[in-house]
Amino acid sequence: MKLHRLGALAAVSALAFAACSSSGASTAPSSGGGGGGDTSKGTVKIAVDLPFQGSEKATSDPILNGIRLAVKDAGGAVGGYAVTVPDSAVYDDSINGAHDPQTGANNMTKIVADPDVIADIGPVNSNVGKAQIPVSNAAGLLQCSPSNTSPGLTTGDAAAQLRTKPNNYIRVVTTDDVQGPAASQYIHDVLKKNSVYIIDDTETFGKGVADAFEADFKSRGGTVVKHDGAPKTTQDYVSIMTAAKALNPEAIYFGGVTATGGARILLAASQVGLGDVPYVGPDGINDGTGETKDSFLNLAGAAGKNAFSTLAGPGTFEKKDAFDAAYKAEYGTDATGYAGQGYACAQVVLDALKRAAATNPAKDALKEAVRVAGTDTTVKYDTIVGSISFDANGDTSQKIVSIYSVDTAAANGKGDWKFATQVDYAK
Amino acid sequence: MTALASPVAAPNAVARAVRVTLYVVVAVALYAVVLWRALVFNSELASGNSVVGALGAALSRTDDAAMTFLGQSLQQTVNALSIGAIYALIALGYTMVYGIIELINFAHGDIFMLGAFLSVVFLGGITGQTGSVTSIIPLILLLIGAMLFTMPIIGLLNVGIERAVYRPLRHAPRLAPLITAIGVSFILQNVALTLAGSGDRSSPQIFPLEWQIPFGGASVSVLSIFIFILSVGLMLSLQLFVNRSRLGRAMRATAQDQEASALMGVDLNQTISLTFLLGGMLAAAAGVVWGLRFGFVRFDLGFNSGLKAFTAAVLGGIGNITGATLGGFIIGFIENFAAALGFSRWSEFLVFMILTLVLIFRPTGILGQHSGDRA
Repeated sequence: MKLHRLGALAAVSALAFAACSSSGASTAPSSGGGGGGDTSKGTVKIAVDLPFQGSEKATSDPILNGIRLAVKDAGGAVGGYAVTVPDSAVYDDSINGAHDPQTGANNMTKIVADPDVIADIGPVNSNVGKAQIPVSNAAGLLQCSPSNTSPGLTTGDAAAQLRTKPNNYIRVVTTDDVQGPAASQYIHDVLKKNSVYIIDDTETFGKGVADAFEADFKSRGGTVVKHDGAPKTTQDYVSIMTAAKALNPEAIYFGGVTATGGARILLAASQVGLGDVPYVGPDGINDGTGETKDSFLNLAGAAGKNAFSTLAGPGTFEKKDAFDAAYKAEYGTDATGYAGQGYACAQVVLDALKRAAATNPAKDALKEAVRVAGTDTTVKYDTIVGSISFDANGDTSQKIVSIYSVDTAAANGKGDWKFATQVDYAK
Repeated sequence: MTALASPVAAPNAVARAVRVTLYVVVAVALYAVVLWRALVFNSELASGNSVVGALGAALSRTDDAAMTFLGQSLQQTVNALSIGAIYALIALGYTMVYGIIELINFAHGDIFMLGAFLSVVFLGGITGQTGSVTSIIPLILLLIGAMLFTMPIIGLLNVGIERAVYRPLRHAPRLAPLITAIGVSFILQNVALTLAGSGDRSSPQIFPLEWQIPFGGASVSVLSIFIFILSVGLMLSLQLFVNRSRLGRAMRATAQDQEASALMGVDLNQTISLTFLLGGMLAAAAGVVWGLRFGFVRFDLGFNSGLKAFTAAVLGGIGNITGATLGGFIIGFIENFAAALGFSRWSEFLVFMILTLVLIFRPTGILGQHSGDRA
């Protein structure tokens, strides 16, 4: 126990030293791990909005943990402000076990009404993001998403229609127009599969990433035997997979998340004899080990052996070992999915707060100062997942997609995602 | 056909059974052939043929490739029969309750969901099953055990709900019990949500999925056939009960005219309780086979399944037992048709479009009759 604590302390302080400091304002971190910093200017809150019900909890818990770890590593204080992520500022945008855009928008209305909130981190799902951005944008609140990947949130007419004021939205993951192709490249060039059956959940994210996948797979000369869609209310996936089996695909691509059918479709596929075909999905199914309740691997069980997933961020980064150790020491579980991206979002927000605080704004101008600092395109952030900056749309300069396969022996034989490779699309 | 409201049992039971069996065989065969040719058409279209060319091929091709589509079509037909049977079992509960007290019991889908959960409790919790059971005798014992465990509990729960909630409202304006039923639905969902959590819960698939009968390059799942036969057996038992037994006659009499049957000595409360008991038991059976077939249960399962089953009951003619069965299978076939041809994106659109069309041209549903001044 003592040793365990000591290790944790070492890891945390190592992280704190390695942690975020922007090249724009390169003063040393105001405090080390655990030490009380200068809080003379009062207390501010970072609000969090993620889905916490059903399968989505497996995705969101690591993100929230990552956020809180980053705040803790910063000593809970930045630029003279005490920074907290209280449970009362953590909102759940799911209803009946799945994320819900309307709930997300309602939450955002409450978040922007809280005078102590200087920024929001979230959401996970792109359709929730789409519902929230108009609210947070009108209020001028900095919003950082650790996992929104739909391109339409930041670029094109669709994105412009969400905004009435200067941009307030940034994200630390890359978009589906590279996440889809990364999976396609892996199936076609690495797994050497030439034909694929695609099924999506008919939602903003699921269909979007599946369409991007399809276009890229065709451009590589592969055959798409069928692209079908099944909403999350579908009862009978067995008939759909029976039809898929008849087309003899060499691989299956699923566009969606665990809560909208990721594991059910795989179970149906293995029931009709497609169990040995690689089953590839986006970040929506990369949500924890087989031991995590309601995660994709937990629900898929033995059928998960041929599954692959992508994450729209780096699967390995320079400080990953230190991060994993610190996370494990703090929470007792492995850092899975987008835990690092949650940490990175919090680092960005804290850094923005530090630069905003340096100008000594009045209390009611702080929110806007943080928004301006956070969306500044000239700043380079040295985050846990690497050095990133944001463009005028709020998209990250880091365009890395990582691919995971399943290690069936990990997590006490329940299976876990194992990092396979990553592709850097910025190069 | 058995409308609950028809006062006397149809004579000539054997002749009727033969006729109905014939109808069923012809309908299923027709579906298989239509789906087979549609699959040929679809593949011709996919390989770049014009619509006319594909249509020609669909009507004429009989080569080996076309024959493999026959195998697929049979496989899908059996799939359709099994999901249709599940919808039909649930739809029976809607239609019987409506037939007796003209209440659309929106909580019925959730009764089915609780049945599926209880089956998990029995198979996974009490008998500790995790995978498939390949020896016949234990498998049969487990299946019978699951049915005997879930059906009485869920049936009695349904009776209890009627007693506690619907009976005090029996003479209230019609909207009151309807809204109450929706309330009960939410309560049951939230009970399941609290007890089981909001994610998928896996249900032990004790029936071996690898039992398949090979047929023309495809294979037909024994489980699907089992589900179909079991469900048809239950539906026939219900028909026999309603048509032949004294209590069944009381049910039919109550459906036709509550006051008159009460005057003739029918115990109204007992008859209505019996209806809820039977409906709950059939829904529980549907829950058990659902778990065997799809391997997961969720607290909100009852909403969508209930909606489909309710649609089935309306499509077939609500209040009519044969109609509910027919409606269940029709919806199973429509969904399966969309899935088989690869446009399941559109399956709900198709289901509700056909419902709308039927209701426009036959407002009482396919087998429904005007209920006259009762409505």
